[in-house]
Amino acid sequence: MAIEPVIFWVFSTILVLSAGAVVTVRNPVHAVIFLVLAFFTSAAIWILLEAEFLALALVLVYVGAVMVLFLFVVMMLDINVAPLREGFVRNLWVGIPVLAIVIYELWVVVGEKQFGLDKVAAPAGHAADYSNTKELGGILYTVYMYPFELAAVILLVAIVAAIALTLRRRPQTRYQDPAQQVLVKRGDRVRLVKMAAEKKQ
Amino acid sequence: MNFDIAEFMPALPEIFVLTMACIVLLVDVCLDQERRVITYVMTQATLVGAALLTVALHTGGRTVVFSGTFVSDPMGDVLKVFIYLVSAMALLYSRQYLIDRQLFKGEYFLLALFAVLGMMVLVSAHSLLTIYLGLELMSLSLYAMVAVDRDNEIATEAAMKYFVLGALASGMLLYGMSMIYGVTATLNLAEIAAYNADISGNEIVMVFGLAFVMVGLAFKLGAVPFHMWIPDVYHGAPTTVTLFIGTAPKIAAFAMLMRLLVEGLGGFYVQWHDMLVVLAVLSIVAGNVIAIAQTNIKRMLAYSTIAHVGFMLLGVLTGSEGGYAAAMFYIIVYALMAAGAFGMVVLLSRAGYEADRIEDFKGLNDRSPWYAFMMLILMLATAGVPPFLGFWAKLSVLQAVVEAGMLWLAVVAVLFSVVGAFYYLRIVKLMYFDKADDHTPITAGIDMRVTLSANGLAILGLGLFPGALMALCASALL
Amino acid sequence: MISLSHFLVLGAILFSIAMAGIFLNRKNVIILLMAIELLLLAVNMNFVAFSHYHGDTAGQVFVFFILTVAAAEAAIGLAILIVLFRNRRTINVDHLNSLKG
Repeated sequence: MAIEPVIFWVFSTILVLSAGAVVTVRNPVHAVIFLVLAFFTSAAIWILLEAEFLALALVLVYVGAVMVLFLFVVMMLDINVAPLREGFVRNLWVGIPVLAIVIYELWVVVGEKQFGLDKVAAPAGHAADYSNTKELGGILYTVYMYPFELAAVILLVAIVAAIALTLRRRPQTRYQDPAQQVLVKRGDRVRLVKMAAEKKQ
Repeated sequence: MNFDIAEFMPALPEIFVLTMACIVLLVDVCLDQERRVITYVMTQATLVGAALLTVALHTGGRTVVFSGTFVSDPMGDVLKVFIYLVSAMALLYSRQYLIDRQLFKGEYFLLALFAVLGMMVLVSAHSLLTIYLGLELMSLSLYAMVAVDRDNEIATEAAMKYFVLGALASGMLLYGMSMIYGVTATLNLAEIAAYNADISGNEIVMVFGLAFVMVGLAFKLGAVPFHMWIPDVYHGAPTTVTLFIGTAPKIAAFAMLMRLLVEGLGGFYVQWHDMLVVLAVLSIVAGNVIAIAQTNIKRMLAYSTIAHVGFMLLGVLTGSEGGYAAAMFYIIVYALMAAGAFGMVVLLSRAGYEADRIEDFKGLNDRSPWYAFMMLILMLATAGVPPFLGFWAKLSVLQAVVEAGMLWLAVVAVLFSVVGAFYYLRIVKLMYFDKADDHTPITAGIDMRVTLSANGLAILGLGLFPGALMALCASALL
Repeated sequence: MISLSHFLVLGAILFSIAMAGIFLNRKNVIILLMAIELLLLAVNMNFVAFSHYHGDTAGQVFVFFILTVAAAEAAIGLAILIVLFRNRRTINVDHLNSLKG
């Protein structure tokens, strides 16, 4: 038996369960951790699909940066866990049948009938010395130069927006200015005063 | 692949706006609050410069560059020029309002410039990838602009709603795009259109993708039943941001509709035609009816936007050149009228007071006959009373609809436009026949007074001579 | 053997879970933001799978850009969330009702 189906089924089961956990657990911190698990597992599945660069980027960018950002915000906001979940169970009884129907309908569209192996054959694997990163890099900076620049602009907008929304300048905050500290002369701090010696009465 | 300098020429306006945005960013950092006006002037200069470049580079032909991700064509050029114009007006109307509320910050103008850049990218997109990136560049800037008054509870709540629903819409759009890519194995709109010519066994998947794309588009356009965010965002955002969101992005959204549906998925006209009929009818009916019940003028104008978007969709769903031209004319006219109407709301507000209730227009004629007259023109034009501008826009769309043989649609649209005329005329009644509660004189800078008057008079003039703008739209689509 | 439809169905299930998370969760905005991330993950799964089976790298490039934009989106979303929390001291969806939808 080939190893690929085993990998696929194991990882996809973990992925679906952790994705389900993200939207159902009570505690937002747990939800973030399940989301990390979901991203990690997806990365494994993407490696199965020979998209190594994206799999690594997913781990580095998502698990490494975006999820940490989420975790940071969740911790910082100090949300009350208990009341945030009321009513979810009530909605769930409507939700689960609807969810099942939606998944079935999607299945009909994207299932074996449209995209089975007889319709789209599995491609031959790449040679061992094939570099996914090299291939993506090759087209990213040439064919997709214009979108690449746009992505850079979007990141710039994110920086500007995040700073504009959350940076607070507190005028009353005291801080050290090293330049001022270095420039200080003895005369600014110490004053020698000539005094006549006190005489004993 | 070799880079040819000629490849960059059609994208020169985009390159210019981006470069200027970066310069504005750097200059703004070094300015203190008294000299913040330099940022404002540079932003306006950027828009003027971009307009000059776009006109200078206008060839009347169609050029696709950057490996099929960017297209420059007459429709794009015309829409871009109006985007610059409307954005410049929106920023001009904003100046005093922002100063009064301590919001006159560099970030505001910078985000507006980036949003304009996003709209330009969207207008010139020739691939699913650039459509997505342009849309996100525009939307992300707009989300942040809504929240720019960060101590305002309502504004931040509106921003959160806008963000969540906008991100959801992007997700839907992307899911649809992934299906389209899955069938056609290309992101290029021309190649997607070419694929449609010989429909294979995967038609169901394509239609499925189209449905998701349509949901995403409807969300972004604010068509019923995906309009929930529009009234809240229009109401909650600072009035000048509402003015900006309600005008230029609508032109960009029209371009997105044309690029995706007409250029990319033209082969699926039968399917998207039906979806658009539903969206258009619901928007026209719900928009006009719910607007009557509003007491807040920003919410009223929000529902009126929904109804106008429905009218624009009517033009697109005819599937004919005439219909597209009528829809383009409609959306440009709408943007100009909305800019004027929101401009009036901005004009009446002052520090610590938002003139956003309909009653605030009471007795405007006593306070200032000239602005009451401007508002009269704007309201009559928006309502579509002949011979004002909005009437010609509605007429041209209805003509196209009737020519396409959908008489019942035209009848519904006319009926509900008459219903819609009621709430515009109510404002006219309040201005001329009610006594004012508030006698504070209207003060505004000379720039605002001149531009707002020019806006009103332009609508009056264009209403009397609509031929030139109509001909421009028709020629842009050939 | 694993066919393309296996990956697509996986994507569809993820998409549905994310949708359910958005529509059923009436309580916590931050979970909404996480559900949106899941939604984008589902889309990415589709693109990567199509890209592999079509032998066409454009899909992978699209995923690259979606990842970039999603990171920017998360940053702005969380910034808005923080501003909102400062003003309201709550991120409970039910309490965000000063604007009648």
